[in-house]
Amino acid sequence: MAFNSLDFFIFLPIVFLAYWLFFTKKTNHQNTFILVASYFFYGLWDWRFLFLIIASTVVDYFVGQYIYTSDTTKEKKKWLWISIIFNIGLLGFFKYYNFFIDSWIDFISLTGYEIGNSWTLQIILPVGISFYTFQTMSYSLDIYYKRLTPTKDFISFATFVSFFPQLVAGPIERASNLLSQISAKKVFNYAQCTAGVKLIVWGLFKKVVIADSIAPIVDDIFANYSEYPASTLILGVSLFSFQVYGDFSGYSDIAIGTAKLFGIELMSNFKFPNFSRNVAEYWQRWHISLSTWFRHYVYIPLGGSRVSKLKSVRNIIIIFLVSGFWHGANWTFIAWGAIHAALYIPVFLMGRNRIYMNTTVAENKWFPSITEILQILCTFSLITFSRIFFRSESITDAFGFIKQICSNFRFETYEHPLGYRMIDYFILLTIFTIYEFRIRRDERSPFKFKSRVTRFIVYTIVILGMLLFFDDNIDRSFIYFQF
Amino acid sequence: MIHDMKKLILKNILYFFLILLSLEVFVRVFHLSKDTPTRFLDNNKVEKWAPNQNGFSVTGNRRQNFSEYHINKSGFNSYRDFTPTKDKKEVALVGDSFIEGFHQNYYNSIGKKIENVLPEIEVYEYGYAGYDFADQLHLIHAYKNQFDLIDHVILGIKFSNDLTRPEYKVITERLALESPLNKLLKKSKLLVYCKSIGILDPPQKLVYKLTNLLKQKREVNPISNAEIQRIRQKKEKIYLENFESLIMKYGYDKKRYTLLLDASTTSQIFLEYLEANDYRYIDFSKQFEASKRSTTLIYDRHWNNHGRELIADVITNHLNQIDELASPLE
Repeated sequence: MAFNSLDFFIFLPIVFLAYWLFFTKKTNHQNTFILVASYFFYGLWDWRFLFLIIASTVVDYFVGQYIYTSDTTKEKKKWLWISIIFNIGLLGFFKYYNFFIDSWIDFISLTGYEIGNSWTLQIILPVGISFYTFQTMSYSLDIYYKRLTPTKDFISFATFVSFFPQLVAGPIERASNLLSQISAKKVFNYAQCTAGVKLIVWGLFKKVVIADSIAPIVDDIFANYSEYPASTLILGVSLFSFQVYGDFSGYSDIAIGTAKLFGIELMSNFKFPNFSRNVAEYWQRWHISLSTWFRHYVYIPLGGSRVSKLKSVRNIIIIFLVSGFWHGANWTFIAWGAIHAALYIPVFLMGRNRIYMNTTVAENKWFPSITEILQILCTFSLITFSRIFFRSESITDAFGFIKQICSNFRFETYEHPLGYRMIDYFILLTIFTIYEFRIRRDERSPFKFKSRVTRFIVYTIVILGMLLFFDDNIDRSFIYFQF
Repeated sequence: MIHDMKKLILKNILYFFLILLSLEVFVRVFHLSKDTPTRFLDNNKVEKWAPNQNGFSVTGNRRQNFSEYHINKSGFNSYRDFTPTKDKKEVALVGDSFIEGFHQNYYNSIGKKIENVLPEIEVYEYGYAGYDFADQLHLIHAYKNQFDLIDHVILGIKFSNDLTRPEYKVITERLALESPLNKLLKKSKLLVYCKSIGILDPPQKLVYKLTNLLKQKREVNPISNAEIQRIRQKKEKIYLENFESLIMKYGYDKKRYTLLLDASTTSQIFLEYLEANDYRYIDFSKQFEASKRSTTLIYDRHWNNHGRELIADVITNHLNQIDELASPLE
């Protein structure tokens, strides 16, 4: 059941009303109900994969207990490895098995030997596996690092693993934030619910209007890149930047908004990354839950930045490569990660990786300065360049795309594959960017206007936008579901 | 808590209706939704549009296609009224929505395009969405006096759609669209807009799915190619019989009437039958296939301006070859 489906808009009000009408007395009842609803939500995709979630839940529930009660570090480590091997094993089999086999076959063929591809399997990637395995692992890791005491309440833990708003595409929560809220009794909060509804509406707008409407253009340009001039290819990858942002941040907003309806505050996942002034700031604003996860569980254990410069650089390379690989079993994602490492390292070496941590662009000002505009454009261009690899089907296609930009460097007007007016999209993205700049200080309040009338007009325009750009004929699934 | 929840629900409902109201205003102000003329059944049991109506036809979410229509005194979309006389030269185009041409300004229709090339001829467009061959022949029969004065009649026909019935009967389902409830629903431009862009399809599909759940499921066996071929041949035979039956009932002036069809989508048996029995037809398939530009609209399979130009061209060429229509100066 996807957030942008009719099923979800029938499911959500029913679950919401039932939750607050019948399950307010006991926390255990609340969590049991949410757990059942979450399994139902996930089961509508493919009920067989529910067993994987349940297995991951059971393993980490008990592993958490054993890590906590083990007397020796060696014993604790043994249990931790069981959790890691189990979760990475699940991920490895369902997501990376064919990649490793294919890569091995390719490698062998370089040496002149030919082996058949009888080892490759027809494996369906279970939706959300990359997200919930990381979440359960974080639980065991936090207990191992003594940041968390394991819960004895299995229902609460199972709800933490499979909480439906963030089950399939995050944000990847840490137990210290989510489990503690799940374990506590939830009380209806009017302001929280209102804020949740607003975030759902804004998330839907980003998905339906920004991401989905651009998708056919991006698909066409990337599928036929060899036929287009540089101007079209640059347009295609730039639009992909907006598409992937609209798609994923839209999903996150709906997830956060939905969680709010049930009295749960999820962590922010996006903080207007398109206004980042350097690549380090970008990573503080893009897919925050994943970068936080890697920082806590990979970068810091490796020594983080508290080791020599050389080792820090090594750590940066490792987390970006792993992050790239997390996105998908394809060399394109590894190349994408490597490019980000290459972009981040100079910023890190110049000591500029933390300078924008607590500020937003044009802080206390109406407009950004010329320098800030140039910084934003430069960062956006670099990030957009890396997305050629992120979006291309193969590494050959990615290099072919770049080669085509260089060898066919000319301008040509692009015509929409379905014949629609391109100007509509340019106007749309301009208005969207200006509006996002207007609300850039608070990602959780997309409709923060003092005047009730202004707020109402904005709501109407947002809904009208959804009607104007709604297209039933295009694939409306979320991009990050494939990860 | 209950109080807060009530407040939340009531406020959301209130906002929902206020937003709907505002959207209705937006849709009307920017004319995003199409106008639908009123249908009616005249004394001759001919279904057509109520005379003297004007409006706009809109396609696509963002007015990707916007055109004006004008229903004349005879109840058809045309810039002129139909006043055939013995003195003038007139040509009638009879057909469905493709001839009706709501997707293009009425003053730039196929008929007008023909008249631009052949100014001595008046072209009367008897187009109505959904007209099949039975409707067309019934119309000609019902307005015999008028059509007898018209020098040449071109009937648009699509073999797979237009020959499904052997005799004319009023299609009540189509006229049911003029029911009081439908008329009331059509008053909301927002609703008409939402329906046209397909946003109401998912709930409709869901209702259909749920109602089908209650019905007993029938096992559908896969059909073999031979079976498909047999069904197709059977259909073609029936369509051909329907064609003969309609012509038997209403008559067909082979000298004055010409069929307009796309041979690439027409049964070979039917084409052979037409040739063997001296039925004239205009085939526009070659022109459409040779066209490098799209001949249909983006959102719609109806002909776009280019497609209409091609149709006007083939009809003009055909008319030029008819002696009765030749100019006395030629």
